[in-house]
Amino acid sequence: MSRAQRIAFIAPRFPEGATVGGAETLLKNLANCAAAAGREVSFLTTCARNHFSWANEVPPGERTINGVKVHFFPVDEDRDIPTFARLQEIISRGGHLSTEDQKAWLANSVNSRPLCEYLRADTGKFDKIVAGPYLFGITYFAAAINPHKTVLVPCLHDEPFAYLPVIGEMFENVGGIMFNSEPERDLAARLYKLQSRRCFVVGMGITPFSADPSAFAARRGIDAPYVIYCGRREPLKGTPLLLDYVNAFRCRSGRDIKLVVTGSGPMNIPPELEPHVLDVGFLEEDEKHEAMAGAVAFCHPSRNESFSIVIMESWLAGTPVLVTAASDVMRDHCLKGNGGLWFRSYPEFEEELSALLDNSELRTALGKNGREYVLREYAWPTIEKKLFTAMDADVP
Amino acid sequence: MSESIFKIGAQGVDTGAIVEEIRATVARKAEQGLYSDPRIARAEKTNLSNLSDREFDQYYMECLRDAVFVDINDFEIHEKRRFFSGFLVGLKRLIWKMLRFYTYRLWSQQNEVNGILLAAAEANESRNRERIDELEARLARLEGRK
Repeated sequence: MSRAQRIAFIAPRFPEGATVGGAETLLKNLANCAAAAGREVSFLTTCARNHFSWANEVPPGERTINGVKVHFFPVDEDRDIPTFARLQEIISRGGHLSTEDQKAWLANSVNSRPLCEYLRADTGKFDKIVAGPYLFGITYFAAAINPHKTVLVPCLHDEPFAYLPVIGEMFENVGGIMFNSEPERDLAARLYKLQSRRCFVVGMGITPFSADPSAFAARRGIDAPYVIYCGRREPLKGTPLLLDYVNAFRCRSGRDIKLVVTGSGPMNIPPELEPHVLDVGFLEEDEKHEAMAGAVAFCHPSRNESFSIVIMESWLAGTPVLVTAASDVMRDHCLKGNGGLWFRSYPEFEEELSALLDNSELRTALGKNGREYVLREYAWPTIEKKLFTAMDADVP
Repeated sequence: MSESIFKIGAQGVDTGAIVEEIRATVARKAEQGLYSDPRIARAEKTNLSNLSDREFDQYYMECLRDAVFVDINDFEIHEKRRFFSGFLVGLKRLIWKMLRFYTYRLWSQQNEVNGILLAAAEANESRNRERIDELEARLARLEGRK
């Protein structure tokens, strides 16, 4: 093993304030961990904040943030968005694309030529390049500059993009891959030809916290039990399903249960549910943790998760989780941690939510198990060891 | 609605066992028709992409069958107001009868369309299911040959 001292982390955005995203947060936290351990860390990212417009909002240049040199590069403004959207639509529908079209899709995705030129100018300046998530052009083109030095953090989901041959080539060519969970690694092994010695399951450390379970409800005047969801609101994250299920639950059971939602993105709330949804937008971390601590359950309806930071936070807050069985990753966490239940359909959701509402002993036990699981498996010292095993591994 | 069916044993909770128990409860209640509810069919529309097994396809079809026909049967007509309640109930009954009489053609056409659509969906589902079963069997044979 040779120590990777100079490490570049690459992500499409840098998480700061309201700029969040699971993959970006993961890469930033891993970068901070490496910097704290005495490695020379640079974080290469774009000037974009908004993941819909990708407009250059942050001034380009270098800033030191928490001991990490963050280099902001502009997103290429000459991308052909109609072509990108057309090709993305074909891929989403499971259609076939030629190799040229697959490359055109990546070329017109989020890219930064200045970032790639910076990497290409002196390939010796970094011992390892850690890049992710997998479906951005910026990751694909950065990984192609020096594939043997590149460690991919794919945040892979079982979705049509993952089946593209060009994506498979990237997975097969890079020096190493850091997965967030075993089901994610197993999915990659099913899709691509990977050597197991290049694959590492690392995940992300979660800093422990305690939160007052009654503070959020008291502050916001909530006088009924509530379920909570935190994160992006969009069909890919399953938020329409959550709204439909909570609405059906209220109608069928006659129970007064509220839904608290944090994060960003539009929601199409059924009119009869509207008075019972509290959309609080972005919250400071402390308040988000209090909101989680007071909930009956954290409900995560998304099948596209490679780790799920929010269910870890919910468990640290002592709250059980209710997740879709379509996500192998979250189901695996629930099974291993004994901290949550999973549903395939509405009737299962109804039974599980009813059980959690009726049985406080069950709720407490699941929340406690979940918290113990996070403290055991995702403490920073444990993750740091796994991270440096992956980082310092010699390229076969 | 659901009763609390879980006890926490000396070893704590086993989520795998709880989910199994819930599935058994759901299967039992489904047989009793407790989930035959158009509100569930509506709530499941966004879950269609997650459907993978035969059991759930059948369940969704069941929901559709329960919700397919427009109900214009007579129902109990009440009046909360104390005064003239008899007269108001009579008036409401008359209005309901007239409404039913004048919308009968619309209602019967709607039911016919719904019935045809359901039959088409069922036929499609069963044809696709047969095709998938056949392809899966062929795939298994080919994989076995390797």
